[in-house]
Amino acid sequence: MRAYLLRRLWQSAVTLVGVSILVFVILRVIPGDPAKMLLPEGAPPSAVEALNRHLGLREPLWVQYAIFLRSVVRGDFGQSFQYRSPALRVVIERVPATIQLTLAAMAVTVLAGVPLGIVAAVRQRSAWDYASTVVAVLGQSLPNFWLGIMLVLLFGVTLRWLPTSGFGGWLSLVLPSVTLAAFPTALVARLTRSSLLEILGQEYIRTGRAKGLGEPRVVLRHALRNAMIPLLTVLGLQIGTLLGGAVITESIFAWPGMGKLVVDAIFFRDFPVVQTILILSATIFVLINLVVDLLYTVLDPRIRYG
Amino acid sequence: MTRVARHPMILLGGLILAMVVIASAAAPWITSADPLKPSFARRLTPPQGLGGTAHPLGTDNLGRDILARVLHGGRLSLVLAASAVALAAGVGVLVGLAAGLIGGRLDDLVMRLADVQLAFPVIMLAIAIVAAVGTSATALVGVLALSGWVLYARTVRAAVLTIRETDYVEAARTLGAGNVRLIARHILPNTLAPILVLASSQFATMVLLESGLSFLGLGLQPPQPSWGLMLAEGRDYLSNAWWLATVPGLAISLVVLGANLLGDGLRDLLDPRLRQ
Amino acid sequence: MTTPRLTRRRFVVGSGALLGATAVRPRAARAQARRGHIIAGLSERMLTLDPANHYSISSTSVLRHVYDPLLDVTNDDKFVPALAESWKALNNTTWRFVLRKGVRFHDGTPFTADSVVFTLKRVRDNTKLIKSFVYQDIDDVRKEDDVTVTVTTKRPFGSLPAHLTMLGMLPPSAGGNEDGFFAKPVGTGPFRFTSWTHGDHVELEANAGYWRSSAPKVDRLTFRFIPELSTRAAALRAGEIHVIDRVWPDMVSTLKGTSGIKVHDVPAVEAQRWHFQLAREAGKDPRVRKAVSLAIDRNTIIKELLLGYARPVVSPVPPGLIGHTNLGQKPYDPDRARAILKQAGHQSLTLDFVLMKDLYPKQLEIAQAVAAMLGDVGVKVNIRNLEIATAREQRTAGNYDLFFSGWAHMPHDPDWYFGQWFTKAGAEKMTRFNDPRVEQLIAEGRVPDPKVRQQKYEEIQKILWEDEPEIWPYYSVAIYAVSDKLRNFEARRDYYVLLHEVAIA
Repeated sequence: MRAYLLRRLWQSAVTLVGVSILVFVILRVIPGDPAKMLLPEGAPPSAVEALNRHLGLREPLWVQYAIFLRSVVRGDFGQSFQYRSPALRVVIERVPATIQLTLAAMAVTVLAGVPLGIVAAVRQRSAWDYASTVVAVLGQSLPNFWLGIMLVLLFGVTLRWLPTSGFGGWLSLVLPSVTLAAFPTALVARLTRSSLLEILGQEYIRTGRAKGLGEPRVVLRHALRNAMIPLLTVLGLQIGTLLGGAVITESIFAWPGMGKLVVDAIFFRDFPVVQTILILSATIFVLINLVVDLLYTVLDPRIRYG
Repeated sequence: MTRVARHPMILLGGLILAMVVIASAAAPWITSADPLKPSFARRLTPPQGLGGTAHPLGTDNLGRDILARVLHGGRLSLVLAASAVALAAGVGVLVGLAAGLIGGRLDDLVMRLADVQLAFPVIMLAIAIVAAVGTSATALVGVLALSGWVLYARTVRAAVLTIRETDYVEAARTLGAGNVRLIARHILPNTLAPILVLASSQFATMVLLESGLSFLGLGLQPPQPSWGLMLAEGRDYLSNAWWLATVPGLAISLVVLGANLLGDGLRDLLDPRLRQ
Repeated sequence: MTTPRLTRRRFVVGSGALLGATAVRPRAARAQARRGHIIAGLSERMLTLDPANHYSISSTSVLRHVYDPLLDVTNDDKFVPALAESWKALNNTTWRFVLRKGVRFHDGTPFTADSVVFTLKRVRDNTKLIKSFVYQDIDDVRKEDDVTVTVTTKRPFGSLPAHLTMLGMLPPSAGGNEDGFFAKPVGTGPFRFTSWTHGDHVELEANAGYWRSSAPKVDRLTFRFIPELSTRAAALRAGEIHVIDRVWPDMVSTLKGTSGIKVHDVPAVEAQRWHFQLAREAGKDPRVRKAVSLAIDRNTIIKELLLGYARPVVSPVPPGLIGHTNLGQKPYDPDRARAILKQAGHQSLTLDFVLMKDLYPKQLEIAQAVAAMLGDVGVKVNIRNLEIATAREQRTAGNYDLFFSGWAHMPHDPDWYFGQWFTKAGAEKMTRFNDPRVEQLIAEGRVPDPKVRQQKYEEIQKILWEDEPEIWPYYSVAIYAVSDKLRNFEARRDYYVLLHEVAIA
């Protein structure tokens, strides 16, 4: 086990370096000139060239990367091209809002999706099952901008129960997290249902039933634990999606999160910010997946890593 | 066949999907309206309903008939989404099987590659791909598939890891069953269920992803009536012409409903250990 | 309660207080009149607090509250004094500015010629600053005395005053530690800087000592950045904010229908311009350009797609700017277009129409409408709606036939527009425009004398109108929506949201 852990940690480091190189290269290879994005449309080519030189973008690629690595080691991720302020600070400013939204959305997902899936599985073929299918369909197919804008119009403008946008206080978290959670909730509900159904039919569960353990105990103790595995897979991936993919929700609700920051930075060709976010999120991602893989062994002793 | 009949979900789901597919394919026969030609006088007319009127589902911001657009668009979006899911599932399952069965170095390498790729927002990948090959349906399918394969790989790999250690697989191995047999007989049937469920949910994801990408100028170009583009164009009119975005949204919902029912039904049908 | 006895001391103190109160009443009255908190929702986020380091209309608008420039431009296109009481061109290459007295920065230091010298030299010399390239023509900035500055330029710089309306004056103390200064900047403006949350909002508070007594009229100002129009509108309709900018025509009816909201619109100093790639087969041929121009029904675009929120173009330079003239409206004649194309032998032409994603209201709709119109005369149009960075690279590479763009004249002077797009050097990596006559006229139009400039610009435009290297489909209209709690809001033609003189009920 320890050997496995060490190996995984070493690989994580390699992964991260790989990510940093890939980000670096892709940014500089795709078309799009940061100086042009900063300067107005009518700036002369000489100004563009001068600014690119100032930004250090005219050095050979490997020199740029070496400089970048050296500063990263000192904790300096460069100056954001857009904001003229340390990229790390620009990114970290967005962390509280992002974490709040992600956690809230995950909470909604788990609290709504898992029970929905359990009920659908346990009461298979009943009205509950079909109802949960409908909810799942809606959650997966409603475009999240549609949902977001409709929620804003209803709860923000017409009823004025909740703020229409912005980051501040618990109330402003409600609509964005519900909007963001719609899709994962549906996915989690369906996965919980199907995993549970599978497990419920398995041998050892039937053995458990035969032993006379009551139905609820059987379900909750044995089945749920094993159904957790695919669930964890999805949840782990969803965190990554939620962090980076919440851009539409963040746009609709003017939520100052990292999703919008990274998309804006990509469109603006703000290399330092893109690099910082991708490296940081890759780190988190790799760690989360490591944790998930380790949790597999806890939840199902049959899984071993050689 | 009788087994299928005992699973009404499959029938219902299949029926819904078939209806949508047939309607899209038969678009020119269902309505003669031109999905591409603007008509300024008829901008933003609300849905007129059935009963021999010109625009049963209304017209859009350029006066084009929405029924015609949603049907013609179905051809585009369905084919795109199906291709993307097929590609993603195909690649993902293969990779997941390989990683789970062979394990060791390959497993590590592949999963770390997946990690590296997942660290990149889809948008960045899309920009990079579009920069290399331009905007086209093929590029779009590639981007969509790229965003989706990891889910399959991960799930299949996890299932393989679980099943690999079970008694009957061990037994089968000692009896001399080679890997291919193991895959075909024991592993695939057990992984088929989650894959089907995933594929059916991913279908909707693909359509919505296409919407986001087309919206950002990285997917199909107007005036093509893909559902994604229709959604994107309807976004600005939600408060005064809700039907622009709602009609393609409903179309997507129908497809998702059908795909989900079909997927769940198939799962029920194919799971060897499920008995009702 | 006992009545206090009126002692002599009390009387003196009392009258003194009364007199004193009379003397300070205007100030106290102003202080009393200043109350409330206005929240504005802007479409574009602010990127920097340094007036010399950006060219964003929205940032200019916000920073105008913290810093003052030497002169301002009014909504009817007149240049008026701000920190400079007067300015004059002594000759073609020399400008003299006489500064306002008694102005102080927010930290108490006085505003003098030193500030002007510092600000101008800084923007010219620090070529990392975004505005630097504009001021490269400045030769020297000399302080004559505390209130007089002379600027000499390398070649005639008639548009200098216009550019200076966008450059806030900085105190010389900013030079020592720029990062520290811009963390909490001081200017001379009607509001002081309080805080800035990147990408979210800026907080400002009133500057009680502002040199203009009519401003500010509120205690606090918040600018929130809400790029999504539906969200911006929702926040206004829900009463959370008081003013929004960049409203699209289709949103107007919803906003007008909400009680408590007024919609203002005003023709902007912006002309849309779709430029041809003059080095490609289609753009090279003036007949093709003419045919394309004839095939586009501009009035339908204005009336049906923009719902009347646009104006027909009569000269490339919009009204209100120097150089505006009336060359008549371009006709719509698809039959003639077909005939010309047939005659020119271009009967199955394909044009690539490149757009920069999300930049202009309804651009995608308009492009599709144009594609249909051109389709009617036998020209196939491929719409390519690309993200901005990629689109601009394609433009540099010349990979387009028609490029959807616009030009908002900020500063209020057409010299930049002409210099950038219609000189060989400027257009080299863009449209590849090259006409020596026009180039000569542009150079001649740089002198400070407005009469000369008007004449030169009119000549230039006559040539361009005939040659049609660009299509000018319409002048934009700026639409704002405001809570009716606000008093004295002025819808500006240059898209600025200026709240100096705006009060809230």
